[in-house]
Amino acid sequence: MAGKISNTPATYTPSPTSQNKKRPSTVTGSDWVRPDGRGLHQCRPAFLRTGAVNSASGSAYAEFGNTKVIVSVFGPRESKKAMMYSDIGRLNCNVSYTSFATPIRGQASEGKDLSSMLHKALEGAIILESFPKTTVDVFALVLESGGSDLPVVISCASLALSDAGIRLYDIVASVSMSCLGKNLVIDPVSEEESYQDGSLMITCMPSRNEVTQMTVTGEWSTPKIHEAMQLCLDACWKLGKIMRSCLKEAVSAPEE
Amino acid sequence: MEAKREDGRSATQMRPLSCTRSILNRAHGSASFSQGETKILAAVYGPKAGTKKNENPEKACIEVIWKPKSGQIGKVEKEYEMILKRTLQNICILNVHPNTTTSIIIQVVNDDGSLLPCAINAACSALVDAGIPLKYLAVAISCCLSEDEYCVLDPNKLEERNMKALVYLVFRNSILSVLDEESVEVGESIENGIITSVTHGVMSVNNYFQCLEQGRAAIKPLSDFLRKKLRSKVQNDVSVAG
Amino acid sequence: MEVDAFRRLFPLRFHERHLLESIRPDGRPLGRARDTTIALGAVASANGSALAKIGCTTMLAAVKLEVMTPKAESPDEGCIVIDFHMPPICSPLVRPGRPAEAAPVITKQLTDIILSSGMIDLKELSLVSGKAAWMAYLDIYCLDADGALFDAALLSAVAAFSHLQIPVVSLNDNGRIVLLSEENSGAMWEKEPVNKEKRKLKLDTLPFSLTCVLHKNYILADPSAEEESIMETYLTVVLDSSMQLVSLNKPGGPGLAQTSAIQDCVALTIQRVKELQKILNEAISDMEVD
Repeated sequence: MAGKISNTPATYTPSPTSQNKKRPSTVTGSDWVRPDGRGLHQCRPAFLRTGAVNSASGSAYAEFGNTKVIVSVFGPRESKKAMMYSDIGRLNCNVSYTSFATPIRGQASEGKDLSSMLHKALEGAIILESFPKTTVDVFALVLESGGSDLPVVISCASLALSDAGIRLYDIVASVSMSCLGKNLVIDPVSEEESYQDGSLMITCMPSRNEVTQMTVTGEWSTPKIHEAMQLCLDACWKLGKIMRSCLKEAVSAPEE
Repeated sequence: MEAKREDGRSATQMRPLSCTRSILNRAHGSASFSQGETKILAAVYGPKAGTKKNENPEKACIEVIWKPKSGQIGKVEKEYEMILKRTLQNICILNVHPNTTTSIIIQVVNDDGSLLPCAINAACSALVDAGIPLKYLAVAISCCLSEDEYCVLDPNKLEERNMKALVYLVFRNSILSVLDEESVEVGESIENGIITSVTHGVMSVNNYFQCLEQGRAAIKPLSDFLRKKLRSKVQNDVSVAG
Repeated sequence: MEVDAFRRLFPLRFHERHLLESIRPDGRPLGRARDTTIALGAVASANGSALAKIGCTTMLAAVKLEVMTPKAESPDEGCIVIDFHMPPICSPLVRPGRPAEAAPVITKQLTDIILSSGMIDLKELSLVSGKAAWMAYLDIYCLDADGALFDAALLSAVAAFSHLQIPVVSLNDNGRIVLLSEENSGAMWEKEPVNKEKRKLKLDTLPFSLTCVLHKNYILADPSAEEESIMETYLTVVLDSSMQLVSLNKPGGPGLAQTSAIQDCVALTIQRVKELQKILNEAISDMEVD
């Protein structure tokens, strides 16, 4: 009954593609209104929950507007036999996208990039000496990509690590910022990211006031970078507080 | 009611069977089994040391590789591999050689319907040829259901395509008992069990049980055939003591 | 010895002690399935989606429609492509880069069942005969693997198709199909819309399934991952709403299945189909109220 469809015919999606859209001239002006009506320096409301996946040692689900991410942490577990002995632990990260994460099916190809950036962001925060010879695996799945994916993945991953009981120096919060002409826009959505001139992403540990990762692309003048960094660090501080309250709720709720 | 089949067989008649052992002399055990035009070659290598990563080291592990006649390995082959692996896990005695892997490679030489049952029969013969300890032999048969609810055994490819539904069944072989009739009762309840059943197509529950009964009718002839083919080698083998 | 240690060291004896009392470690009687919930419309960007949870096993299914040219032999029929993924988040046994063994098998079983059960008439997916038809990509992601993967996957697939809404499109001058967005539907109708309004697929009979584990003479319905790994013989029965047998799958395994056991499993499945039908109808009516 099932015919052998060995080569699927070429298909196209009927919806209009966003690449043809030219960026509206108001974007760089001072009266740019963001698509979701936020202020220029206002982040999206965050919904965070731990314990999303039962089979994992620790897991978290994060929803920032339209960006939805699930992260599971497995471990510490035995390292692969091929790896050499090491007296500190190892971290293994992997980020993947679902095929319906982007409006056009099967478009996301930045999985490998994001995996190595996630690794670098979390490495500085985990106390690797607490689990020698073993590996902690952090796997992320982006269910829906609505802009500013990597910061959401990083924040969600640090929540999942805390849920798994891995020892951290501090939780890690991450925020990104886009430069659209004169405007600095925090926590951009995918539409804004497609018009951007430059971007800046900061991952920091709020209580220790230390930055674990900073990524800058595009053209920035020095005063702009200072301004952007200050805004991002403030936003990370606020996000850190939200994450802490989420963790506290998760612990206190079952005790009631 | 007797539906006339294309090649003149009756409803419960199987195609001519043939089985040859020890076809490949580098493999630890091998067999070629054919039902009509469908021909399958099976080779067994093992037991080899070590199990795969997620498998239980206290038992022997069975690995199946299915090679289609043409084309790349796809989902269909993976499904066959899984079904074959689990069926063979049922018939092999896994505790005898713990922490080992036995590999069975199935090569499809020609496909004319009833592919999976033929492969199971071939794999079983190859295991016997390799001397892997088995609890009993597996006897596999395929039944299909026509539009007017008529059950036929061992369809060829053309019949499979035209039928409403298809059932693959694997039973254990019939017991040739030296004891007399009292033991028949015990034998019946053991023979009742099916090892594997895979269906394709929609049918009613009663039709399924009908096919099951028809399939059981084929156990005896197949078991006798296998017993005859697999026994003859041993008697001529001078190296076997006694 | 502590209960947890006993459970890890002698799992079979632990479970058998429970089975003697006709109960399972999580407190369920032998024939009862875990709590099932369905949430429709979980993915906003897809044409139809559903999130199904059976106990802890979670599956997210989404249907995306794209346009293709139909094959020459069947100019009036669209196409459905089903893909089941087990991303590394769902279970400690799955590694990135090495796909799970169960994934292609479940994909093939789902494809066979959805196509052979006659749930969807492919002619409904046709747009312009011979030139354009819908290709429905159904992607199912396992978010948490805790036993009975096939049941949850089938349930989420059926729910996603129930939720599917085909968008309004029209044929533009280049011969390509273009989405008619809400704004210009009132304004200009230069191009005739190919289908009048957003419509749902007409689904004939929905298939539902139940996996049972056979151990000695016990039949456990809807096993968890622990039960599946200890008692490896399982049997999956798929029935559709008119109680026809769509598929009966017992892929080997260490135990034999007697005819009486199969009949019991079919009876359990009949009950389960009624439960699942009710849950799905409730979920659909909840969506429509909104």
